[in-house]
Amino acid sequence: MWLVFFKEMKELLRDRKSLFFMIALPIVVFPLLIGIAAYVGSQAIKDVETKTISYSVIGAEYAPDLVLKMEEIEQFERVELSTSFADDNAIKEHVKAGNVDFVLVIPDNYGADILSTGQITLRVFLNDSGLNMVNRRLTEITKEIAEVNQASAFMALQVNESQQVGLLEPIVIEKVNVADERENWGEKIGAFFPYIIFILCLQGAMLPASDLGAGEKERGTLETLLISPIERNKLVMGKFLTIAFAGVTSALITVVSMAIWGLVLSQGVGVEAVANFMAAIGAIDFILMFLMLVPVVAILASTLLSLSIYARSFKEAQGYMQPLVFIVIVPVLIAMMPGIQLKGIYAWIPLTNVALAIKELIKGTMDYMQLFAIFASTTLIAVALIGFCIYWFKQEKVLFR
Amino acid sequence: MIEITNLAKKFKVENPKKLSEQDKKDPRLNGRFFHSVKEVSFSCAEGQVLGLLGPNGAGKTTTLRMLSTALRPDAGSIKIDGVDIVSDPLLARKTIGFLSGATGLYGRLTGRENIAYFGQLNGMQEAEINSRIDELSQRLDMETFLDRRSETYSTGMKQKASIARAVVHSPKVVILDEPTTGLDIMATQTVLDFIRDLKAKKVPVIFSTHHLDEVSELCDAVTVIDKGVTKFDGSFDEFKGLADGSLHQSFINTLGIDAKSVSI
Repeated sequence: MWLVFFKEMKELLRDRKSLFFMIALPIVVFPLLIGIAAYVGSQAIKDVETKTISYSVIGAEYAPDLVLKMEEIEQFERVELSTSFADDNAIKEHVKAGNVDFVLVIPDNYGADILSTGQITLRVFLNDSGLNMVNRRLTEITKEIAEVNQASAFMALQVNESQQVGLLEPIVIEKVNVADERENWGEKIGAFFPYIIFILCLQGAMLPASDLGAGEKERGTLETLLISPIERNKLVMGKFLTIAFAGVTSALITVVSMAIWGLVLSQGVGVEAVANFMAAIGAIDFILMFLMLVPVVAILASTLLSLSIYARSFKEAQGYMQPLVFIVIVPVLIAMMPGIQLKGIYAWIPLTNVALAIKELIKGTMDYMQLFAIFASTTLIAVALIGFCIYWFKQEKVLFR
Repeated sequence: MIEITNLAKKFKVENPKKLSEQDKKDPRLNGRFFHSVKEVSFSCAEGQVLGLLGPNGAGKTTTLRMLSTALRPDAGSIKIDGVDIVSDPLLARKTIGFLSGATGLYGRLTGRENIAYFGQLNGMQEAEINSRIDELSQRLDMETFLDRRSETYSTGMKQKASIARAVVHSPKVVILDEPTTGLDIMATQTVLDFIRDLKAKKVPVIFSTHHLDEVSELCDAVTVIDKGVTKFDGSFDEFKGLADGSLHQSFINTLGIDAKSVSI
């Protein structure tokens, strides 16, 4: 068995193509792509922030203080209006034509004394479909003025401070979250983690699997291997272990590289939070998670090997394996949906129950008794599939198709 | 010594409707089963080379695959030195060396690693494998390329490495399924020299071929099968005596077809 395993590993490691998919892609290429996307995105935001925004004001005479403050903002550039507008449509056309980025209309009731003016509505005509900073900048200014006006109004009404707070927000709802930090985060990322691991394992194992089964058929080495004096189950186990190992390695490499790149890119921000979160999970839960993954990987690897040996060629094997990705995604997606818990029927769906159990483990709300049932049932399925794979390898109609 | 008696093998036909008209006319088709090999018997003594002849689809490859234990016969027996290999294929595999024209090598391993892998699968020790590889590489003249990856080999180099791989465990019987098909003249010569070498070492060789000149060059015994049945089994001289001077005519006579209908 180990003989087959080591030979297959040796061959696998010499294959540049699968090495590329297993190692280079997750370590270098994916982070690079994500990095480029992030860079372009941040660059675009920076551009928007530093871009000069031109504007015009209608009714500037009603609010000299506001206009003055706007003129102080560096990126704002006021354009004097030479014409007057008949109605709102004319203003809209003016902005649409690109003469200015926005037009601010100040009503004639504008004033500092709220008690006499009532609520003041400033209207801004702008193209709000793109990313822009107009609203944020204007709110900064108006908020400042409004607060001053508010305070003086309260003063005039002789309202004390606690009354002021009550008037502004008569009823407040305060949430007291009984879930601790770990449960909170676990719910958010707990379902995502098994999803990534499952898919990565499957992807990483696919290429070696098609090589080890269909590839042998295609190259004409299978027949010789079959008539070697090695028991069929040892042969299958050797190949199975290689595929499982490749899947796990590829998944781990990807996760570790994502973690490292994440740390590098965030430059230490949030490291403490992550470290605290990880520390809360505890070693036993990590080991349990890993143990849960073992039968899952076994299920994936044995299924892949069965498909691969059935296929006549490499190409056919790849064709059989692609749908498997969807078959795996669906039960894991179920586990990702909010509100789905490890209860009732969900505890019995293979893969879904493991994904849910891993989520519960991360959250720290696992019912350990259920873990036994899930682990046992998943292991049972895995053993059955490996058994089927060995049976499959003994079938003449499969081997000599 | 290898004896084959009344060997038979049938395959289940998955979809009888898909068979072509010609397939349906084949007398071997019976209900849902296709009796690829119905009754094949022959034997090959020590130091003998047996040529297995027959038209395409006669059941040669199926017969040889049963001999190599890749397929399990439905009926009949295969005995090597009196031991039935059908009941104990694992033991039999240690005594058989098998090579077909379509056999490949693991491209990402070197020739040496390919040969060593099969030596290990046969339970050989490392020192034993190394000395055997040295011996074979001298005999087959492989020193120059043995440590290169086999995907870079030419057809002739591949065939040499395949031969070495097939006999690394010093088998008692060697079975070759169309070993020269698709090879150039030099590579063919390597294979023929190798068979001659085995013959000198008193190892029985069974090989199937379509080339009658190879038969006349090497074979002591000839077996002709057609439609899964042994049509002729005898010495080369008997085979030659079936027609005057032409081996092709002898072959056609064994099939029992009117020569004129073939020559058209």
